[in-house]
Amino acid sequence: MKIGVRLDVLVFTIALLSVPVLSDLILSKVDRRIDLTSQIARITSTLKVENAGNDLVSEVLLTIPDNQAKNLAYLTATSNEGKGKVKASAVNLPVEVVHPKGMPPALTFYSVSLPKGLGKGETFTLDVLAVFTHALQPFPEEITQANIQLVVFSDTAHFLSPYTVKVQSLIVKLPEARIESYTKIENTKIHGSEIKYGPYENLPPFSYSPIGVHFEANQPFVVAQELVREIEISHWGNVQVTEHYNLVHGGARSKGEFSRLDYQSRRYVGGASAVRSLVAKLPPRAHSVYYRDEIGNISTSNLWSDSKKTELEIEPRYPMFGGWRTAFTIGYGLPLQDFLFRAEGRRYLDFSFGCPMNEVVIDTLIVKVVLPEGSTDISVSVPFPVKQWQETKFSHLDVIGRPVIVLEKTNAVPEHNQHFQVYYKFSNLSMLREPLMLISGFFLLFVAGIIYMHADLAISKSSPSYLAKLQWDEVLAVIQQFQNNINRCLTIHDKLEASLRDLSRTGDVQACKAARKAFDGLLKDLSKDLKPLLAFLQSSPQASQILPKVEELVVKEKDLQEKLMAKHSMVVDGYEKKSGGREIENRIALQQQKITALRQEVDDLLEFIEEI
Amino acid sequence: MHVLLCIVTGRYSSRLYIAYAPLVVLGTLLASLVPVVGFNAVLTSEHFGSFLVFIIIHVVALVYYIKGILSPKMFKVAVTLVVSIGLVVCCAVIAVLVALVASSPTKGWSGRSLSLLDPTYASKYIPIIASVSEHQPPTWPSYFMDINVLAFLVPAGIIACFSPLSDASSFVVLYIVTSVYFSGVMVRLMLVFAPAACIMSGIALSASFDVFTRSIKFQLPGVKGNSQVDAGETSSEGVVAQNEVAKTDKNEEALKERPSKKNRKKEKEHVEKPSVKAQMKKRLLVLPFEASIIAILLLILLGAFYVVHSVWAAAEAYSAPSIVLTSYSHDGLHVFDDFREAYSWLSHNTEVDDKVASWWDYGYQTTAMANRTVIVDNNTWNNTHIATVGTAMSSPEKAAWEIFDSLDVKYVLVVFGGLVGYPSDDINKFLWMVRIGGGVFPHIKEPDYLRDGQYRIDSQATPTMLNCLMYKLSYYRFVETDGKAFDRVRRTEIGKKHFKLTHFEEVFTTHHWMVRIYKLKPQKNRIRGKAKKSRSKASSTTSTKRSETQRKNPWH
Repeated sequence: MKIGVRLDVLVFTIALLSVPVLSDLILSKVDRRIDLTSQIARITSTLKVENAGNDLVSEVLLTIPDNQAKNLAYLTATSNEGKGKVKASAVNLPVEVVHPKGMPPALTFYSVSLPKGLGKGETFTLDVLAVFTHALQPFPEEITQANIQLVVFSDTAHFLSPYTVKVQSLIVKLPEARIESYTKIENTKIHGSEIKYGPYENLPPFSYSPIGVHFEANQPFVVAQELVREIEISHWGNVQVTEHYNLVHGGARSKGEFSRLDYQSRRYVGGASAVRSLVAKLPPRAHSVYYRDEIGNISTSNLWSDSKKTELEIEPRYPMFGGWRTAFTIGYGLPLQDFLFRAEGRRYLDFSFGCPMNEVVIDTLIVKVVLPEGSTDISVSVPFPVKQWQETKFSHLDVIGRPVIVLEKTNAVPEHNQHFQVYYKFSNLSMLREPLMLISGFFLLFVAGIIYMHADLAISKSSPSYLAKLQWDEVLAVIQQFQNNINRCLTIHDKLEASLRDLSRTGDVQACKAARKAFDGLLKDLSKDLKPLLAFLQSSPQASQILPKVEELVVKEKDLQEKLMAKHSMVVDGYEKKSGGREIENRIALQQQKITALRQEVDDLLEFIEEI
Repeated sequence: MHVLLCIVTGRYSSRLYIAYAPLVVLGTLLASLVPVVGFNAVLTSEHFGSFLVFIIIHVVALVYYIKGILSPKMFKVAVTLVVSIGLVVCCAVIAVLVALVASSPTKGWSGRSLSLLDPTYASKYIPIIASVSEHQPPTWPSYFMDINVLAFLVPAGIIACFSPLSDASSFVVLYIVTSVYFSGVMVRLMLVFAPAACIMSGIALSASFDVFTRSIKFQLPGVKGNSQVDAGETSSEGVVAQNEVAKTDKNEEALKERPSKKNRKKEKEHVEKPSVKAQMKKRLLVLPFEASIIAILLLILLGAFYVVHSVWAAAEAYSAPSIVLTSYSHDGLHVFDDFREAYSWLSHNTEVDDKVASWWDYGYQTTAMANRTVIVDNNTWNNTHIATVGTAMSSPEKAAWEIFDSLDVKYVLVVFGGLVGYPSDDINKFLWMVRIGGGVFPHIKEPDYLRDGQYRIDSQATPTMLNCLMYKLSYYRFVETDGKAFDRVRRTEIGKKHFKLTHFEEVFTTHHWMVRIYKLKPQKNRIRGKAKKSRSKASSTTSTKRSETQRKNPWH
C-alpha cells in the first residue's frame, strides 16, 4: 500500500517535470537584494514557496539567464524555516544543474532539493545566495587617469522564475557615490544609495523586465587571473604556504598618460580607482612571511600580528591602474599542529581554500597540497565541486617524489574561503629517512676514503718502480729518524751552552760538571743510535744522492760536538783554576768562532736535508 | 718585466725559468679558451711583451746551458759565432713584427689598453671609454676609502723590501709600482692594486713587529738574567716551555700570530744566532723597551681599526646594491626602490616584443629585470649604436622621434634624480651622450650644449640644450611639483619650465621620479595626396642631414 503510494508520487513527479509550466508551485513572496558595493555582485533572495497543487514536491527550480550563469561563482540555498530560532543552524540544501525539457532557451536551471517533500498548501522559505563575478561592466571601457570609474550592472526587475510570483520586491544597494543613471519603471524609488523596485504582484512565470544601473564604483577591481597556492607539509613541524599571484586591475582600462604628479598630489582625482595596497589576512602564528617577485624583495609591506590573526599589508611595486598587471609571491610558514590532526589512524590537513585577501576575484585558483614523501591512502574532501588530480614533486633528497594533490577551481570568490581536508597515512619512521640517507651517505664517503688510504692499489707488486717507491719510503723514514737524532744532539749542545752560562752566573762548577756528565751519556747514546741508520743509508742504493750530505752532516756534527766539549772543559777548567772571566773568554774566543761557523754549516745541511 | 730585470741584473736561475715559461704557455692557452678572447691572446700586440721575454729567457737559458758544458775559451768562440748570426735573425724578425704591428691603425692596441699607457688617450679619441666612471682616474678619497691604512703601510713595505733585496722582494716591488700606476689611471684597476697593497703592508707589518718584539726580547734579559736561557730554549726546542719571565713574552707572541710564518722563522734565526756574541751588537739597534711596547699596541690598534673599516666598507660600499638606494632621515630608513619599480612595470605592462631605448648604463638591468629588448646595453664593443641613442637623446623631439621610430623603439626610459637629489642621473651623464653621439654623427656639437664652456641647465642654458630630448623628458611637468622647478642635484632652477611634449607621452614615472618612461606617440594620420608630400618634404629639408646619417646607420 505504502509502496504503491510512493510509486505514484514518483510517477507524478516525473510527469510534473515534463510539464512545460510547473504551475503547482507558487512563490508567494520574493525579496531580492543585490549588493553592488564591491566588484562582486551578491544577490540574496528570500523565496517563500507554496505548493498550490495536490502532489508532494521535493524540488524547487531556480533560473538564471545563460549570460549571467557563466559569471556565476557561487550559489547556495539555505532553508530559512521557522525564522529566528532555527536560523542559526540553517542547513545548506543541495543544489545541482538540471536540464528540464520544454523550457525557454538561454536559461540555466538549478534544482534545489528540499529537506522534505512539500505537501498541498504547505509553505517553505529558503534563502538563495548567488555570487557573480565580472558582472559590473566598466562603461566607458577606457578612462584617463583623472576620470572616475563608471560601471553598468544589468539584471531584471522581475524575479525570473518558472513559477508564478505573487508578491516581489528588489533592492539594489550601490556604493555611496554618484549614480549616473538607472532604469525607471513603475514603482521605482531611490533612497540614498539604494534603489527599490516593486512591490510587483501576480506576475506570470518567466516574466522579465530588464533594468540597468550606471554608477560610480571607484574601488579597485582586483582580479587574480591565476593564483597558485602551494601548501607544503613538513612533519618536522612546519606548513609552508607559498602563493603566486598574477594580478590585473579588472576595471576600466587606463588610457593616455600616467602622471605621477597627479597621482601623488591630487590623490582622489588622479587615479581614484588605482590599486594602492592589498591586505592579506593570514592565519595566526604565521612566521617567516615574505613578499617578493621575480626580481627580488619588495620593500613596501607591513605586517601586524596578534594572537588572533596576522595581517600583511602589501603594496604592489607600482600603483595599478585599469588594465595594468603585476605578479608577486607571498609566502609564510605556519605551525604544523594548528592545521594537521589525526583521525581514525589517518592524518588530515584542515586548511582554508581561497585567497587570504578581501574582495579579490580569482579566475583560476589552483591549490596544491604537497604531502611528505611516503604518504599513502590519500583522499580529499572539498565542500564544493573542484577539478582534482595528482602530481609528484621532487624536492631535496627525494627518491620517489612527494605526492601533490592539485585542486583547481575557476571563478573563486571570498565565499569559497572554506576549509577543505586532505586525508592521508604517513608513518613517523619515514621522517627519519632523509637524515639517515645523509648520514649513511657521508659514512660511506668516509669509509671509501679510509679504504682508499689503506688499500695498496699498485697493479704489479714486483715492478721496479713500485719497489723503488717502497725503498724510497724506507729511506725517507730513516732520514726522518736521522734528522730527529741530529736535532736532539743540537738541543744537547744548546743545553751545554746554557750550563756554561749558568756557570758564569753562579760559579757552581760541580753542577756544571754533573750536567756535562749527563749530556755526555746522552750524546753517546745518540751517536750509537745513529750508526745503524747510517749503515742502512749506506747500503740503500736509493739514498746514494743524499748520502754525501748526510755523511758530511755527521762529520760536521761530530766536529761541532768535539769543539763544544773542548770549549766546555776549557771553561770549566778556567773556573776551577779561578782564572778571570776575561781570560777564559779570550781563550775560548777562537773555539767559539769555529763553533759558530760549524753550527751554521750544520743548520744549512739540516735545512737541505729537510727539503728532501 | 720582473724576469727581464732579473736577467739584466744577472740573477737568472733555473727556478726563474721554471716559473715563467710554463706560465706563459699555459696562461696563453687558457686565455684563448675563453670565447671572447680567442686568438686575440696571440694576435694583439698587448701580449707581445710577454712573448718577447719568453724568447729571451729561452736564449738566456740556452746560453747558460752552453756555458755549463763548454770550457770558457770555447764558450767565447761560440758566443761570437752565435751572437753574430742571432743578431741578424733577430733583426729580421723584429723588422717583420714592427711592420705588422705598424700596419694596423692603433698599432694593434685596443683603446682601453692605450688609455692605460696614455691617460689622456681616451678623452681625446674614444669618449665612450672615458665616459665610464670605472675608467676615470681615482681621487685621493677613493684610495683612502678602498685601502685605508694600507696606503701608509705600502711605502713602509717597499722600504722593508729593499733592506734585504732578493729575487722575491724585487718582484714584489715591481708589482706594487706597476699596479700603483695602473690604478692611478683607472679606478677599475684598483682591483689589481689591492692584492699588491695587501702583500706590501703585510711585509711592512711583519717587519715592524719583528723589530719591536726583538727589541723587547733583548731588553727582557737585562731585567732578569735567566730569561736568556729560556728564550734560547723555547726557540730551539720548538715546544714552548715558558717560565714566569716568558709570560710577558707569550702575550706578544699570541698577538703576533698575524705576521707570516716566514717572519717567525726569521725571528728564530735571530734569537739563535746572536746567542752570546752578537747580543752586544744587537743591543745597540734596539728601541727603548716602553716605546716598542707602545708601538706594538698602536700597530695592533691600527690593525683592529682596519678590520672594522673593512667590514664596514664591505657591507656598505661593496655589497649594497646600487639599484636599491637607501637614505637615513629623521624618521628612519628610507628606501628608494624606483629602478625595480620601473623595470617591474615594464615587464608586466608592455608587450613582450616592445623595445626600450635608454642610455646604455641601464641596458643589462632592463634586459634582466624587465625582460625587454634594449637598443644599447653595457656591452660597449661597438659604439656606433650607442652614439645613435646619444644622438637621439641630444636631438630635438621630432628628430629624436624619427631616430627611435627607425629603431622600432616603443618606450624611452630616462633616469632623473632632480626631485630627490640622486646625482648619477641622465642629465649629469648627458654631456657624454653628446660627445659620444657627436663622435659618430658630426652634426651634434658639444659647444652647442655649453654656455661659455659651462654645462648648465638653468635659464642661462643654450636653446639647443633646452630643446633636446633628454632635457624635455627629464623635466616634463617638473615645475608642477613645487612651483619653481628646483633641481636638487644641480641646485638650480631649471631654464625652461612649461612645455608640452609633442611626440612622446609619459606612461610611467616611479615613486620618487627617478625613472620616467615615455612612449612614442603613434604617427599622426597625414592628409592624403599633395599635402602629405609637401609636408614630408618640409620635414626632410629641416633634417636632411639627419636622414642621411640615418641611412648610414645599419639599423635603419
